[in-house]
Amino acid sequence: MTLRVWDLAHGRSGDKGDICNIGLIARSDEAYRTLCRQVTSERLRDHFGELIKGDVDRYELPNINALNFVCKGALDGGGTLSLRSDHLGKVMYTWLLRMELDDE
Amino acid sequence: MKSVKLGTGLAFWGDSLRPAIDMVERADIQYLCCDHLAELTMSILSKQKSRKPDLGYTTDIIPFLRGVLPKCYERGIKIISNAGGSNPEACAKKVIELCRELGLHGMKVATVTGDDIMDRVDGLLEDGIEFANTDTGQQLADIRDKVTQANVYIGCDGIVEALEQDADIVICGRVTDAALYLGPMRHELGWAADDWQSLGAGTGVAHCIECGGQASGGLYSGGWQDMSNLSSLGYPVTEVFENGEATLSKTPQSGGSVTVGTVSEQLVYEVLDPANYLTADVVSDVSQIKLEQVGPDQVHIHNVKGKPAPATLKVNMGYRAGFVGETQFTYTWPDAIKKAKAGLEFLNERLAQVDFKASATRVEYVGHNSMWGPEVSDPPDDPEIEEIVVRFAARCPTKEEAQKVFTESVPLYNNGPAGASGIGTRPPIKELYGIWPCLIPRELITIKTTVTEVTA
Repeated sequence: MTLRVWDLAHGRSGDKGDICNIGLIARSDEAYRTLCRQVTSERLRDHFGELIKGDVDRYELPNINALNFVCKGALDGGGTLSLRSDHLGKVMYTWLLRMELDDE
Repeated sequence: MKSVKLGTGLAFWGDSLRPAIDMVERADIQYLCCDHLAELTMSILSKQKSRKPDLGYTTDIIPFLRGVLPKCYERGIKIISNAGGSNPEACAKKVIELCRELGLHGMKVATVTGDDIMDRVDGLLEDGIEFANTDTGQQLADIRDKVTQANVYIGCDGIVEALEQDADIVICGRVTDAALYLGPMRHELGWAADDWQSLGAGTGVAHCIECGGQASGGLYSGGWQDMSNLSSLGYPVTEVFENGEATLSKTPQSGGSVTVGTVSEQLVYEVLDPANYLTADVVSDVSQIKLEQVGPDQVHIHNVKGKPAPATLKVNMGYRAGFVGETQFTYTWPDAIKKAKAGLEFLNERLAQVDFKASATRVEYVGHNSMWGPEVSDPPDDPEIEEIVVRFAARCPTKEEAQKVFTESVPLYNNGPAGASGIGTRPPIKELYGIWPCLIPRELITIKTTVTEVTA
């Protein structure tokens, strides 16, 4: 069966203006290393397609096995203007959890 | 080692009052810290204030205090809140009235102001403060005539000052969320205003707890099935030590759970660069944070660093940005999707007939892709599907245009493709406010603290 991010991590997402940040917390040290290798900003950007209009930056929190993705232009103008039902990006992380990973 | 015990009372305007009531009855805390403000809240509150000068604060503070104040008075628990919103003075007046009504004489109620710079914006522009949008680089002139509110995210200085004057309840406007916690930390633990390491550590801790139940099992995606009794979720109770470390727990005999996982999820919530978490008081570095389970529902937080506060403070201005018109309708088997698409075409044609003006429109299929939309997910193409709900929304320049969306969708009931339902009643038209983030040099902001004693 294909490995997905959800098999290795859980997460949470939220808003700051038109930025949506997505945090991933790996379920183990090994899972964290796999996520660091595979879940790059570029790959995340491709997975979200047009949902994210701007750049994506990735940050590491190694002592809690977490990655934080800062996605710009991801909320249709920001929580207060967005026409999207998920105007605050509360479930954006679940779309990332569905992303398929390569076998290693 | 000296320490202070902080409780998280409320995490947003409209949050449940019960966790705080349970907390003041059952938990060992010295302070109850309450955040009522989100980005949009200040725009809503300034609008209320412009209509009625004694409004403009988050009114949930009154039922909240009615619930917790008698116990707080008895136990000496102090309350720090930003419920003042656009009008801390009016809020404090109501709070003092409530204290009198409850017979809590001798209580000291403080207001912290200085964050509202709406009246100063034009003068500051003349003085060369650009207020350029920090996200887009745009000049304020583009929207200046639409600005309804301008508030600076101020730090904890005013709260510390109020506590030094023995305030029991501190009512602020737009202080940072972290300041609601950092204020009592600085006051109790004797941290200097430029003790960057301690302030950075304290701010990291504040970030973990400022969203209430989101740190103690609420929304926990790592194992929501394991969170017991979420409907009686306990909010964070945190002991912060003089060295900046802290132990996060929750109200005894409450629902939820405090684990490394639940705290980790909250830690990454609404954070940009974790090595540079900017606040008015300090730049906190949570990138190397360590979390350890030290007991049941007890997580120890350490290894958070601090760096000097930025030279500028963040300003959020709110500006009028039009209206949203919205409608939704449902089609059922057979051919639900085909009919839904025909229904949408019907709506678009009718809107064109009434010269509808919108700057953006959006179609979502509820139950299928309403969280993602057409960017990543097409509507289902299964002809056997039982039903499909279409949501259509548009950003419009005026209220009249926005109203057309629902008006022109109503005829779907009897003039459109077979079997439309679920259109419902006319929804209220929502006015939109844009948020304009910008900066101001910190020396241009003066914080004022006023303390009033409740007398008979």
